[in-house]
Amino acid sequence: MIREQPTTESAISINHLTVSYGPVPALLDVTVDIPKGKLVGIIGPNGSGKSTLIKAMLGFVKPDLGEVRIFGREAAAAKGMVAYVPQRGAVDWDFPITVREVATMGRYGHRRWWQDMSRRDLQIADQALAKVRMTEFASRQIGQLSGGQQQRVFLARALAQDAEILLLDEPFSGVDAATENAILEVLRETRQQGRTLCVVHHDLSTAAEYFDYLILLKQRMFGFGTPEQILEPQLLCDVYEGNMKVFAELSGTRSAGDRSP
Amino acid sequence: MNSLVEWLTDLQLEQGHLIRPIIVGTLISLVCSVVGCFIVLRRMSFLADAIAHAMLAGVIGGYLIMKIVFGREAHLVGMLAGAILAGILTVALIGFITRVSRIKQDTAIGIMYTGIFGLGALAVSIKSIGGYVHIDITHYIIGNVLAVTNEELWLLAVVSSLVLCSVILFFRPLQITSFDPVMAASIGIPVLAVDYLLTACTSLVVVSGVRVAGVILVVALIITPAASAYLLTDRLNRMVLLSAFIGILGYWLGFGLTIAIGSSPGPTIVVTMTLIFLLILLLAPRYGILADWIRRSSLVPQEVMEDVLGAIVRSTGNVMAIPQVLQAVTAPNRRVQRAIRLLARRNLLECEADQVRLTETGQAEATRLVRAHRLWETYLAQTGEASERIHEKAHQLEHISDQQTVDYLDDKLGHPITDPHGTIIPVDSVQTSGQQDVKASMLRRGNRARIEQILPAANRLGLSVGSEITVLPRSVDGQTWNLKTDRGTAIALNHTEADALIVRPIPTDEDEGDAIPASDVS
Ligand SMILES: Nc1ncnc2c1ncn2[C@@H]1O[C@H](COP(=O)(O)OP(=O)(O)O)[C@@H](O)[C@H]1O
Ligand SMILES: [Mg+2]
Repeated sequence: MIREQPTTESAISINHLTVSYGPVPALLDVTVDIPKGKLVGIIGPNGSGKSTLIKAMLGFVKPDLGEVRIFGREAAAAKGMVAYVPQRGAVDWDFPITVREVATMGRYGHRRWWQDMSRRDLQIADQALAKVRMTEFASRQIGQLSGGQQQRVFLARALAQDAEILLLDEPFSGVDAATENAILEVLRETRQQGRTLCVVHHDLSTAAEYFDYLILLKQRMFGFGTPEQILEPQLLCDVYEGNMKVFAELSGTRSAGDRSP
Repeated sequence: MNSLVEWLTDLQLEQGHLIRPIIVGTLISLVCSVVGCFIVLRRMSFLADAIAHAMLAGVIGGYLIMKIVFGREAHLVGMLAGAILAGILTVALIGFITRVSRIKQDTAIGIMYTGIFGLGALAVSIKSIGGYVHIDITHYIIGNVLAVTNEELWLLAVVSSLVLCSVILFFRPLQITSFDPVMAASIGIPVLAVDYLLTACTSLVVVSGVRVAGVILVVALIITPAASAYLLTDRLNRMVLLSAFIGILGYWLGFGLTIAIGSSPGPTIVVTMTLIFLLILLLAPRYGILADWIRRSSLVPQEVMEDVLGAIVRSTGNVMAIPQVLQAVTAPNRRVQRAIRLLARRNLLECEADQVRLTETGQAEATRLVRAHRLWETYLAQTGEASERIHEKAHQLEHISDQQTVDYLDDKLGHPITDPHGTIIPVDSVQTSGQQDVKASMLRRGNRARIEQILPAANRLGLSVGSEITVLPRSVDGQTWNLKTDRGTAIALNHTEADALIVRPIPTDEDEGDAIPASDVS
C-alpha cells in the first residue's frame, strides 16, 4: 500500500544566494526552501544579513550569485506576490503621509500607475486598518503614533496588498506586550488563510512559541528547521559566540519546553 | 498690493519687456518648487546644487560643440542639451564613485561638482577658448531674468510643461519610491528608472532656474518653497500645491522688489523666498517655532501638579498660602499658578483669597503621593543608594509610580510604618476607607476591621469570618502584627499571615497614626 505523502509546496526557494554590498558578502551561499502556509522566524545577531535576506526575497537587492524563486518564479518577476513590513529604522517618519495613505499604498500594485485607486481599493485599505485596530488614527501623520501603532500601520499595508507571502522585518521591536500579542494574532490569522510569513525576530525566548520553523542566519545559513532543532545550545553558541544574554534567554526556553513537551 | 499690481501694469505698458520676465519667472518658480518637494523629501538638496554648478561646464561645452561642429553662434538648444547632459553625467559619476569605493555620497558630490564646475571655468579662462566663447558667463552665474528673449521663453514653456506633466503623471511612483523604495520595487515599480526621471527633471528645472537666479543661487528656488510647504502640511499632494504657491508668490514679491529698488533680480528673489521661509518657520501652525513654544509652555506637566499637592499636604495638612506654594514647588511661577487653576478645575483643591485648601479627593491624592515618595525612600535606602541622592530619586520615582507599583513596593518592604528619616508613611486612605477589602497587613495601630476572608496561610490563627479585630502596635521592628479579637484575645501574625487575612476596615472618627506631622521635611 502506498501512503500518500502530503507534498509541501515550497513558497520561497533560495538557492546558493550570495549578496554583497562591498568587498564583504552580507549573505554567503544561502540555500533554503520555505514551505507554503507556515510562519517562519529568521533569527541571528545584528548585522547577520537578516534584512538583506528579506530584501533579496523582495527582489530589491541583486544577488551576486544564486537566485530566489517565489512559487517557482524569479523574485524579480514575482511582482506583487510578496508584501513587506520594513524595519522601523528604515522608515522616514517625518514623511508627509497619513495612516490611510500608507494603507492605500498596499493597493498600488493592483493598479496601473496611471489608474486611480478605485473605491474598492480604498475599502480594502480601510478594512486592513480596521483589522489592526487603527481606524481611529486614519488621518494622523505617521510620525504622530506610538511605536506599536506605527508597526500596525505597515502591517495593515501588507494585509491590503493581499499577497501570498508576507515578509516582516522586526515587527516586534519597540512594541509593548499587548501590541505584540495583537500583531501575532493577525499573523496567525493570515497563516490560517494559507499565506506564508517570514518574520525577523530578536527574542529567542519567544521564538519557539511563535514560529513553525526557524532560520538561523549569520552571513551563512546555520540552520533551518523546527524550533526544537534550531534552538540547540551548541548551534546558538556558534552563531552568537557565547553571548551571555542569549544563553540566559535560552535557558528560559528550555525550561518552558520541558514543562510542555 | 493693488497699487503695486497697477504700478506693475503701468510699467509693463510703458516697457513691454517686463511681461516676459513675469511669465518666464512664474513658470520657472512653479516647476522648480514642484520638483523641489521630492528633492527635499529625498534629501537630495546638495545633489541639486551640484547639478546646478556642473551645468556651467555643460553650457560651455554645448556652446563650443554647436559653434565648432555646426558653426552656430550661442545656440540655445545646444547649450540646454549640454547643461542637462552635464547634470546627468555628474549624478552618474557620483553614483559610480559611491558604488565602487568607500567614499560617502556627500563627499562624492563635493568632489564631482567642483571638478566639473572648475573644468568649465578653466575652459573659458584659456585665452584661445575664452575668446571663442561669445556668451555672457555672468548671466549664468548670477542669472538675469530681465534679459530673457522670446526664443528662451518658448523653450522654457516647453520644458516647464514637460516637467509638470511628468510629475503629475508619475506622482504615485514618485511618492512611493521616495517613501519606501523597497516596497516600490516589490510591486514592480522600476525604482531606478523613476530615480533617473527625477534626476532628469531636476536637471531641467535647474537649467531653467538658472535664468532667474544663476547657478549659485538656483537651488534656493527649488528647495526653499518646498521646505516652507513641508512645515505647513502632512500630505504630499498638499505640500506640492503649497510649494508651487509659495514659489510663485516669492517670485512675484521678489520681482516687484527688484523693480521697486532697482536691485539684481536673482538675489532679491532668493532673499524674498528665504524671508518667507523664516516667517513660516516661525508661524507654522503645527511645526512652527512659535506653535512649539506655546505648546510647551501651556503644557502643565503632571509633575508640577503633583508637586503642588505634595507641598500643601506636607505643610499644614491641607491649607497653604499661594506665595508659599510658589516657593515650595521648583517650577516657574506661571506654571505653578496654572497647575493650581487646573487642580481647582479638577476639584482637587479650592482657592480661597490667597490660599489653597485641599478637598477630600485632593487630600487622598496627595497622601498617595507622599506615601509613594516615602516608600521609595525606604526602598532606596535599603538598596544602598547614597543618602544625599535618595530624596531626589524618590521624587522622580513618585511621579511615575502607579498604584500597583506602590502596593508591590509596600509589600516587598514589609509594609513599613516609617521611612528612613523616621517620619510616618501614610496609609492609602482610599484603600483603608472601608469601601474595599484589604489585607490585614495594610492596617495600622488603632484601626478596626471585619474579617471577610481567611486564606489558607492564616488558617492556624483560629479566627472566623465576620468577627471584628482591632489592630495593636506592631512589635519586633514592625515585623510582627498584633491584633485583638472582639473577644479580647491578642494574636501575633507574621507578614505572610497578615497578608492572608482579608478584612474590610471599619471607618473611625479619628485617624490615629495616619496624620502627617506638620513639621515633616521629607
Ligand atoms: N545599503 C548597504 N550598504 C552597505 N552595507 C550594507 C547595506 N545594508 C546592509 N549592509 C551591511 O550588510 C550586513 C548585513 O546587514 P543587514 O542585512 O541589515 O543585517 P541585519 O538585518 O541582520 O541586522 C551588515 O554588515 C551591514 O553593515
Ligand atoms: Mg535588520
